[in-house]
Amino acid sequence: MHILLIALCLCYALGLVLPFCVPRKPQTQGIVGSVCACAASLIGITLGLSGLLASEPMTAIVASPIPLLAFAVRLDPLASFFVLTISLAGLAASIYAMGYLKEFHGRVSVAALAALTNGFLLSMTLVVIADNGFFFLIAWELMSLASYFLVVTEHEKADVRYAGFFYLVMTHVGTAFVIFTYLILFQSAGSFSFDAFRHPGQSLPEGMRTLVFLAALIGFGTKAGIVPLHVWLPYAHPAAPSHISALMSGVMIKTAIYALIRVYFDFLGGQCTWWWRFLVLLVGTLSAILGVMYALMEHDLKRLLAFHSVENIGIILLGIGAGMIFQTYGLKEFAALGLLAGLYHTINHAMFKALLFLGAGSLVYATHTRNMEEYGGLLRRMPWTGLFFLIGAVSISALPPTNGFVSEWLVFQTLFLSFQFPDLFLKLMLPIAAAILALTGVLALACFAKAFGISFLALPRSAHARHAEEVPVAMRIGMGILALLCVGLGLAPMIVVPLLDRITGPLTGVSISDKVLALDGWALAPVNMEFSSVSPPMLAAMLILGGLLGLALAFLFGGHLVKRYYKTWGCGINLSPRMEYTATGFVQPIKRVFSTIYQPTIKLETEFLQESRYFSKQRKFEFHIEPVFEKYLYDPVVHVFMSIADRLRILQAGSLHLYLAYIFVTLVVLLLFAV
Amino acid sequence: MQISPHTGSQLVDLCSALLLLTCFAIVAQRRLSACVDLFALQSAFLVLTAALVAFLTGNPHIYIAAGLTGLIKVIIIPRVLKKVIERLNVKRELVMNINVPAGLLICGALVMLAFFITQPIIPLGFLLTRDSLAIALAIVLIGFFTMIARQKAVTQLVGFLVMENGLFLGATAATYGMPLIVELGVFFDVLIAALIAGIYTNRLQDAFDSVDTTHLTVLKE
Amino acid sequence: MSPIIQSLLLVTAQVIVLLTVSPFLVGLIRKVKARFQCRQGASVFQPYADLAKLFRKQPVISTTTSWIFTATPYILFASTLSAGLLVPTFTTQTPLNFAGNIIALVYLLALGTFFLILAGLDAGSAFGGMGSSREAIIASLTEPAMILSIFAIALTAGSTNLSTIVHKTALLEGIATDPSPHLMALAALFIVALAETGRVPVDNPATHLELTMIHEAMVLEYSGRYLALIEWAAGLKLAVFLSLIANVFAPWGIATTLAPTTMGIGLVVYVVKIAGLAVLIGVIECMFAKLRLFRVTDLLGVAFILALLGLLFFYILRS
Repeated sequence: MHILLIALCLCYALGLVLPFCVPRKPQTQGIVGSVCACAASLIGITLGLSGLLASEPMTAIVASPIPLLAFAVRLDPLASFFVLTISLAGLAASIYAMGYLKEFHGRVSVAALAALTNGFLLSMTLVVIADNGFFFLIAWELMSLASYFLVVTEHEKADVRYAGFFYLVMTHVGTAFVIFTYLILFQSAGSFSFDAFRHPGQSLPEGMRTLVFLAALIGFGTKAGIVPLHVWLPYAHPAAPSHISALMSGVMIKTAIYALIRVYFDFLGGQCTWWWRFLVLLVGTLSAILGVMYALMEHDLKRLLAFHSVENIGIILLGIGAGMIFQTYGLKEFAALGLLAGLYHTINHAMFKALLFLGAGSLVYATHTRNMEEYGGLLRRMPWTGLFFLIGAVSISALPPTNGFVSEWLVFQTLFLSFQFPDLFLKLMLPIAAAILALTGVLALACFAKAFGISFLALPRSAHARHAEEVPVAMRIGMGILALLCVGLGLAPMIVVPLLDRITGPLTGVSISDKVLALDGWALAPVNMEFSSVSPPMLAAMLILGGLLGLALAFLFGGHLVKRYYKTWGCGINLSPRMEYTATGFVQPIKRVFSTIYQPTIKLETEFLQESRYFSKQRKFEFHIEPVFEKYLYDPVVHVFMSIADRLRILQAGSLHLYLAYIFVTLVVLLLFAV
Repeated sequence: MQISPHTGSQLVDLCSALLLLTCFAIVAQRRLSACVDLFALQSAFLVLTAALVAFLTGNPHIYIAAGLTGLIKVIIIPRVLKKVIERLNVKRELVMNINVPAGLLICGALVMLAFFITQPIIPLGFLLTRDSLAIALAIVLIGFFTMIARQKAVTQLVGFLVMENGLFLGATAATYGMPLIVELGVFFDVLIAALIAGIYTNRLQDAFDSVDTTHLTVLKE
Repeated sequence: MSPIIQSLLLVTAQVIVLLTVSPFLVGLIRKVKARFQCRQGASVFQPYADLAKLFRKQPVISTTTSWIFTATPYILFASTLSAGLLVPTFTTQTPLNFAGNIIALVYLLALGTFFLILAGLDAGSAFGGMGSSREAIIASLTEPAMILSIFAIALTAGSTNLSTIVHKTALLEGIATDPSPHLMALAALFIVALAETGRVPVDNPATHLELTMIHEAMVLEYSGRYLALIEWAAGLKLAVFLSLIANVFAPWGIATTLAPTTMGIGLVVYVVKIAGLAVLIGVIECMFAKLRLFRVTDLLGVAFILALLGLLFFYILRS
């Protein structure tokens, strides 16, 4: 395994350097960088799988001259799982990039883009395998910087620059809290190594534990995108190139989840008052419902997907939070179940979110616009993209027989097992959380019915959509790999669950694989088969057989099929794209029903004809939803900081003599103190 | 006819649950005459509950209280209110301070609150109506909430009467009914209150040409 | 006979029962409504004739549609039938009990809804879009209520697998014999059933005015065998919900063993029960007017609160 790790780093390093060695040929630069990333991802997949299946975690240390810093890596099952996720997404994204980078020829430096992609993937891998706090922070910072530069690829546009700046600020606020967390742990452990963190971590005094918990939640939560720290996500993810958005949304925010699990289950040993675990559950529920609600109102496809990432992080935290609450009461098996559900959803989300972003990228590549209201009828012109996007949409809506269904089912079951608690409050809160999760799931279904329906079905709404062409083969293969994985992960939980059990086993102290897999692995049961069970392969078989039965019945009663084609009835008028439902119109009932949350403002201006006030010449309709978090949380904070900065500006008088005087005074004071 | 205490307790629980259901129906209703009908139905359920308690415990004075409730709250007061509604020609509540789904959610939270508050007391009770105490508190809270959430005077009065229903249920549940003298006093008070409310609604209508109690803020001058 | 053959026979029997009984339920509701309106009404078996006619007709397909349009009827049929196989009908020994529980049921039905919403948007007409958008909001509000109400019942039986719930209730094992939570959950589930199957007061299935349609607007463009499959699937959905309500709340009479006599009795009792519920729905359709779309949300809010109360009552009144 050491060899694999060295090979991995070597490939990424090559990917960092080689693109620059082929000047003036952006095509080759792109391909070289992508091939290196591909090779590295394949090695990463192997590494991840072998780490999961290994009996002993692999460790390696390269000492460094800097005190407290040691380049220590450790591939325990948790880290290997995340390496696997990163590499799978990285593989698909880099194959996709081989075709996608054509978009950037001549506009930006493709070499830099390809090199930075490699750097980004390398830094993410290092983040999850680091075994030393200092090393972790270095890798974390590299990851943030690499992603920042990737986000501002198209820096000619003002909104891209703003998005990048916002992202940079938010990620550093988060990093500050992360540093704080590690400093507290360092103070009681005496060294930055994770091993050292682990032991005192479990016996830290109560107050310190709470502090570590909260700081970690805020710090890593900023990166993960929990409400209310999610505001940067809808700016940054759409601004980046699509394969980078796929990586950011699919895997980068998952590294924060990795870190959270590491701190809570590994370092703190799962010991903290149940209030804080309930906070995780609460944060998860809020993120889930608010994420999907804001996603519904978007008609920029990539912003929509970014909000859905917030929602899915919420679902992951729901599973993990529920598991943590079970741990307080010593119900270890159910704790493991919750953690397993959270981890399963992590990899599922990585797969289908990356797929959806790659699909969105293909749509933007083909039509040169991100506005959903200008799409339409693309399924006929881009059949493969449409099919893959449909699979992604069905997965994210958690419909059988895809992977989203399996992981959401597991999260539901964890929440339903709440009747085990002696405390009435929890017995009621968890089913309510389940009801909110159900609401989230069905709103996500509505959102993706809108996204897929408006983009791919009916008539094209603009010239862009009318002339769209199917994307190059490389992009299709990238999407296809992820689509296959989505369906595969859904139909074969019997392969995934034992692997995940190797992670949850050491963290919660109990292995539940044989209890979760019932009937020789053909069914899943939440630890207790009597309580419930589901069999995804059986459901898929039922669906296929049901469809065939329908075909058979149609043939039996109707004979041979002879179709007739004719245009849609438009009430006597020729059907034009203007008659179709728009994305805004589709969500109007939802906007009205949930208007307390959206606080929409609507403006309608009509210009009437000179001759008669009964006929309108022009109408203008504007509709905004209130950006609650930005207005009430971020703007005041920014305002406070700006006013403090304004006050401090007095120090910067601009006079050279004053600055010299500052230095002189400082020098004198230091000399006095030295004496 | 002998009914075991366990079955009896369940029957009382069932009747109380039906009472709570009618409360929610009142909160969800916009038509004023439907609100009054539902209140009459609720009072009928209350009579049933009281009669059941009387039968199971063998306290005859609860029968009298139940009979009075039936007379006043199922027959007299709804008639009075229906007459008021007809005279005012107001059919429905058009503007709600709090919209229906939010109101329902708040009422659900109030029920949960009532249960949490009475939870420590319930295991100490030995009466077969101890669970009804929580429901009684919930009904009182919901009645109060209805008075806040609605603008028309008639619905506010219905809310007040619902509160009184809850108090009666609570008294029956906690102590198998209050002393008869107290019950009589309360009933007559409620009857007078309803009549006064009827009169004042008519005055409101005459003065402001509407029964919106928000108009009363004009008196602030 | 070997268990596999037995299971196959039971599954086939359930498929046949569900497919045969669904058009009958639709016809029964129409007959009850007709009688209330002082008309003779069509025969109760008219929907069978309608289906046969539709299958034989040539379908006309709009030129603006894609493969989603022609695939949706089969997907809808398959998902509704699969959901039906998870619900116990005349026997509690459903062989596919292990394949799914309430959540699987809800999401299988959601799969059908998803594709139907897409099909509504596919033809490019405004009516289809309108139906799809309304269906989206109604589906959003029914799911939480449905999940909470069945969960409240599942707690009494200690399982969320439907056959296990029905089996335990039928044998009177483990139920708290406290009617209050069941009452609330029943009320909630009934309202949800009315909403999901598109009955008055949520949606009028007999309307001809497109602006008042929800489900019918999405299938406006379908004809021939596609429409036949969709109508059949709608009837199946009705049968699934009625079976759920009948068997979860009043399962007595259902066959709990595999003896042929109990199964025969179970079958007769089952048909009588869901026919009774269908008559009840017909009566309700005549008593109430269809609600405005934004008043339907109030009704569904009531259903959610009722389900929540059922859950609360189960926990409180049990102690």
